Amino acid sequence: MKNKTWLQGALNIYLIEYALSAILRQKYKNFFILSIFTFLTFLLASVFFITNSIKYELASTLEALPQIIVQKIKAGRQDDIDVSALDEILSIAGVSDAVARVWGYYYFQNAGVNFTLMGVDEYENQYKNSLEKIVQKFDFNNEENIPSMIVGQGVKENMLRNYYKQYFNFIKSDGTLKKVNIAGVFDGDTQLESNDMIVMSKDEVREIFDIQQTKATDIIVKVANPEEINTIASKIRLMYPECRVITNQDLQVSYQNIFDYKSGIFLALFIVCLFTFFMIVYDKASGLSSEEKREIGILKAIGWRVDDVLKEKFYESFILSFFAYVLGIGFAFAFVYIFQAPLLRNIFIGYSELKTSFELPFVFDTQTLFLVFFLSVPIYVAATILPSWKVATLEADEVIR
Amino acid sequence: MIELKDVTKIYEVNKNESVRALSEINLKIKEGELVILKGSSGSGKSTILSLIAALSKPTSGEVLVDTKKISKLPDNFSSEYRRDNIGFVFQKYNLIPNLSVKENILLPLVPLNLDAQSMHQMSESVMQRFHIEHKQDVLVRNLSGGEQQRAAIARANINNPKIILADEPTANLDEKLSLHFIEMLRELKASNKTIVIATHDPLFFGLDFVDREIQVHNGSLVL
Repeated sequence: MKNKTWLQGALNIYLIEYALSAILRQKYKNFFILSIFTFLTFLLASVFFITNSIKYELASTLEALPQIIVQKIKAGRQDDIDVSALDEILSIAGVSDAVARVWGYYYFQNAGVNFTLMGVDEYENQYKNSLEKIVQKFDFNNEENIPSMIVGQGVKENMLRNYYKQYFNFIKSDGTLKKVNIAGVFDGDTQLESNDMIVMSKDEVREIFDIQQTKATDIIVKVANPEEINTIASKIRLMYPECRVITNQDLQVSYQNIFDYKSGIFLALFIVCLFTFFMIVYDKASGLSSEEKREIGILKAIGWRVDDVLKEKFYESFILSFFAYVLGIGFAFAFVYIFQAPLLRNIFIGYSELKTSFELPFVFDTQTLFLVFFLSVPIYVAATILPSWKVATLEADEVIR
Repeated sequence: MIELKDVTKIYEVNKNESVRALSEINLKIKEGELVILKGSSGSGKSTILSLIAALSKPTSGEVLVDTKKISKLPDNFSSEYRRDNIGFVFQKYNLIPNLSVKENILLPLVPLNLDAQSMHQMSESVMQRFHIEHKQDVLVRNLSGGEQQRAAIARANINNPKIILADEPTANLDEKLSLHFIEMLRELKASNKTIVIATHDPLFFGLDFVDREIQVHNGSLVL
């Protein structure tokens, strides 16, 4: 006999061939198991992929959040804040910058969504990089003296659907219309954050929302040392007791609460998936058919050892479950990242009335792949091997009889 | 040499019921001997074969093959013992119906992980010897009784065992095929194998190449 390589010695190709033929011999039963297994892996992986994408988006959004927001509260509701507060806030030790923001949600009735109108001033420091780039790139007051705006991708799509290609007429607080040209589309740091955003000059936003020149929607405060955010927030609270001072940590909690609520729904779905999977596994583990028992008996009778039988059963169950796993993962990739998870994403992105639709970003997470693998393949393999081991350790004569 | 010493075998049917298949039997079979175990159904013939093949263990007593106590072997060692020494032709052939003849014949060699050429040579040789090579790719479930028997004999001989055991080998065959089997038995005997046949078919009685006929009755040997 010829010398074998280490791999040939370790891997018995004939056992694998036999395992494959065993799968094909019970093709209808195994096709059913493969279909169910693939579907469950697909569902499980899709949930994880969507979760990962949203988490990625949220993490990016949270990173871009202002460190401190100062809002004026009047009779329990937010009111415009005096811009004069800026100078006093800037005088607090540790504050590196403060910007008065002029912005608001504009309800676009035709699409039933809210857009975020953000005012920028080219002579001011912008509170985040994405706005800084926009200000540098676009001229909001062109030669024709018609105001213009830069819109997020989602806004652009919504406007196009409603035949606003070049401009949009905003309804002002006095009921008159304000025409603003669409100068361009921007991609923000993250889609979740910028998809519903419209950027235009502060003056236009003031005019649409009727905000006076001495007022702003809120004030953003930058702190040089992030460790001092809470201390400076406390100082601002003392200076302006009528104001609400929100730190980025407070915002993180509220964002995550929304997300955790959604993932709770998915947790329920996930449990249903697992329950179904374990029903199959239980059925598989509860015993072999008389035909399967007889086959093990025959193999033992012609000289197969218990470990030969178990190796064959391992290959058989591993091939089937790993194939189903790969198919399930492949389908989930296509479903989530190519087709953007129709039906499922609506459960996750339930706050779409506030935020317009966005693309699920591709996030490759090996941990997720391993998690889905370990939740499915080894369990199925164990459920197949266990009853086979029980039969293989019986006397061959007893099994064949 | 095969030796059964004071062997008793009791099958437990359930907690309250048991069947005594063999009662303190003693038997010696020499190397190269052809022995016919004859007797009615349920007399204990098949149990003797099963004990010699280490497919089951005696309730008491010992089974020795070449002075080795095979009745005491752990499960994996008895599998190896069967693989290296025993060719068993079962009454219902115990072939896997959805595999081809060649695949069935090669089954005992699968765990050995031999190279493809050796496997091919061994299977070709044994299929030619037992005249089943023309059916090698046919699924066993599509074979006639005689062809299934030849496939079973070929499988029993693939590992060139020194002991051949056959349990009611002609029970499912007509007279012509039974006579054909007897001719194959004669060839096997000529190759100096130790052969034990359990049968109640009269065609086997009084054959010139059979060394001994032993009557089994109610779990005992009638000497």
